[in-house]
Amino acid sequence: MSNPVKVQPDLKFVQELQAVGGESLKKCYQCATCSVVCPLSPQDDPYPRKEMVWAQWGLKDRLVNDIDIWLCHNCGTCSDLCPRGAKPGDLLGALRNMAYRNLAAPKAIGKWMSSSKYLPLLVAIPAVLWLVIWVIRAAQLGTAFPLFEADGHSWKIAEQGAVVFGGLFPGDFTIDPIFVLTFFTMIGIFVAAVRKLLASFADLPQVYVLGQKERPGMLAAFIDTIKYEVLRNSQIEECGDDPKDAQRFKGHLLIMYSFIALMIVTGIVFVAHWGGYLLMWLGAPEGLIDFVMLTGHTPMSLVNPVKLLANLGFFAGILGLIWLTGRRMSLDKAKQGSSWYDWYLLTIIWVIFLSGFGAQVFRLMGQQFIAYPTYYVHLVAVWMLFAYLPWSKLGHLVYRTAALAYAKKIGRIPMGPRNK
Amino acid sequence: MSNNSILVVGGGFAGITAALEAAELGYEVFIVEKNPYLGGRVAQLNQYFPKLCPPSCGLEIQFQRIKKNPKVKYFTLSQVDAVSGGPGNYSVKVTKQPRHVNSRCTCCGECAKAARTEVDSEFDFETGKRKAAYTTHLFAFPARYTIDPTTCDKIELERIKDACPYDAIDLDEQPKTFDLNVGSIVWATGWKPYPLEKLTNLGAGKVANVISNMQMERLASPSGPTNGRIVRPSDGAEPKRIAFVQCAGSRDENHLNYCSYICCMASLKHVRYLRERYPEAKIVIYYIDLRTPGRYDKFKALTVDDPNLSLVKGKVAAVAEDAGKNPILTVENAVTGIKNDEQFDLVVLATGMQPSAAGEKLPAGLPVDEEGFIIGGEDKGIVAAGCAKLPLDVMKTAQSGTSAALKAIQNVVGR
Repeated sequence: MSNPVKVQPDLKFVQELQAVGGESLKKCYQCATCSVVCPLSPQDDPYPRKEMVWAQWGLKDRLVNDIDIWLCHNCGTCSDLCPRGAKPGDLLGALRNMAYRNLAAPKAIGKWMSSSKYLPLLVAIPAVLWLVIWVIRAAQLGTAFPLFEADGHSWKIAEQGAVVFGGLFPGDFTIDPIFVLTFFTMIGIFVAAVRKLLASFADLPQVYVLGQKERPGMLAAFIDTIKYEVLRNSQIEECGDDPKDAQRFKGHLLIMYSFIALMIVTGIVFVAHWGGYLLMWLGAPEGLIDFVMLTGHTPMSLVNPVKLLANLGFFAGILGLIWLTGRRMSLDKAKQGSSWYDWYLLTIIWVIFLSGFGAQVFRLMGQQFIAYPTYYVHLVAVWMLFAYLPWSKLGHLVYRTAALAYAKKIGRIPMGPRNK
Repeated sequence: MSNNSILVVGGGFAGITAALEAAELGYEVFIVEKNPYLGGRVAQLNQYFPKLCPPSCGLEIQFQRIKKNPKVKYFTLSQVDAVSGGPGNYSVKVTKQPRHVNSRCTCCGECAKAARTEVDSEFDFETGKRKAAYTTHLFAFPARYTIDPTTCDKIELERIKDACPYDAIDLDEQPKTFDLNVGSIVWATGWKPYPLEKLTNLGAGKVANVISNMQMERLASPSGPTNGRIVRPSDGAEPKRIAFVQCAGSRDENHLNYCSYICCMASLKHVRYLRERYPEAKIVIYYIDLRTPGRYDKFKALTVDDPNLSLVKGKVAAVAEDAGKNPILTVENAVTGIKNDEQFDLVVLATGMQPSAAGEKLPAGLPVDEEGFIIGGEDKGIVAAGCAKLPLDVMKTAQSGTSAALKAIQNVVGR
């Protein structure tokens, strides 16, 4: 050969990949069926055939800087039709799992999130945190399972009172500070991780489309991604064409909108509550302050539109969860595997939804001995979802959005709606 | 009571060879063949390896040997229902379906002229038609017509019968069941082409101008439905751009989880058929690996020295069709990394060999692997030969027939 290329395989990397879900990659014989049957893969340098050979050869540099792992939405069509059972879909999933593990700092959490054996540790952190608060509050109130009645804007212990979570875990100095701190720390971690992700794409070739006047800027590409890929799940809709894939699309959309609904509910409560304090501090009229505070006052009546939205979100989310979990459980394991990342995310969302709804039901039933522990589980699970988000599969919300926007910017995928 | 005769199940190249080798050593041999003719898959080919002979050539010699050897008896349209007993003393139940044509037939063809209703010809893999009275091919052996009464109504059948000048047609003939006592059995039931319908991402047999390699053989055959003109099934037009899709179902755990051995060579052979007829036609072979075992590599070298032939590494995984019924193949060229849709006039799928017995329970408890290939039975006095055992070319099939004959003789000798 006139131009020999010496391949420097990173064997440890191949083993790592096999460990996180790409175990059958060595079976691939490069027939390229996968690249053809993929409903999303572009014409030039389609995936996942090239990723299979890179992985077999241990070409770590190519794989960790590969934007295509985020273009894949894991319908599994490639693995279904793979003549060798080499599961290219699982390889791309494994590469995304590696990204969840390595993109965000500190990497120690990435390691803990990568295997079920660290789960007790991950649970223990919020479990201890909320337990300490519970114990301190129990000492202050004289009981761990208090009942309350209203006393102006606050709560006081009452024998014949009701279960009030805000009485045991006051928002002002327990829930809100902890979650606000957690949330913004997470945002900060994401900012750094996304910068790292985008920097890894820096060497990717730019695609020039004939007749295209100008290349979209990152902002335009980002807005376009939010509009189609995020809010409409347009890529998942195109991804795969059997009934199970349609079920996945609907399930994903439902859970996503369920989260958006719950985010709006939380936002209203938070803004109204702290907005009330702000108005007080500004010396706004009493009536306005009362109105704003009342809007965010919890517990809410079941017919309060905000509460209705929350419960609607719950039922939509549960339906989505049933579809997604059902699909994942029915996957043919010979064709498509499920990793710890998949199960962790599904489980944590199940726990959040069931404990959240359960806490509401037990509260209304006045069962303080079940209601408070259920609420405690809810706090632990919600904290885990947010605090560990950059290292979890849910991190795709940020990483995939960033990668897709970048892919649009460099012309790897087109702007605007995709034609089926 | 021990018995020295040998039963050969399947009258294709392996079975005929095994039967003749044993008979010429003095053993009585029975051939049981499912089809109305002997010669099996080879009879359906245009030319066969290694020397690209027409099948009439090689088979004619075998048929002469059969005719001249009183030790060979054959039953066409017959199948083995059950095998009992053991080595040296088998009792085999055979059912023979009626041909409705007796030995007075001279192949004058008057019966076929009288017949009108046409159905797809199984022998031609639906590339041609046959009638209720038919012969499958010119050199069919035994040279005798067959009547298929399910093809047409009673009135037409009577007209066919009346047309025969030799009173050779017996519409009342019934299936016959009889027992054969033999000492050893050769199982040479051969192969069947993997069904196109199962290749869902390659058009599932529904795209008019996507044919199988065996259909290509029939089109190329001078005695085939088009008299050897290789044309598009949809409109009879001469193709200018032809593609071959290798491993259509082979080396694929969703279909046939093994290499069918000869399809790469078959496609290269088809390139020669095409080149003879269309010197300017553009031909593309899409492959995973071109497998050209042994001396076939030379054949490949000679064939691919052709500026109008290109070899593209990449398996075709999607087939569509445009308004002009031109097949459109989607394939990623694994060398350049570009995925493209390519339009052709005619596409040939190199479908693989599936053992004929796949999915069936074999008599006498013959052990088969998960694909249906026979993997034993010699301890029971039953010897597998030819493509019932593994995918082979004709040359190796003949060798395996000879070897099976020897083993079968060893089973009966000295008993």
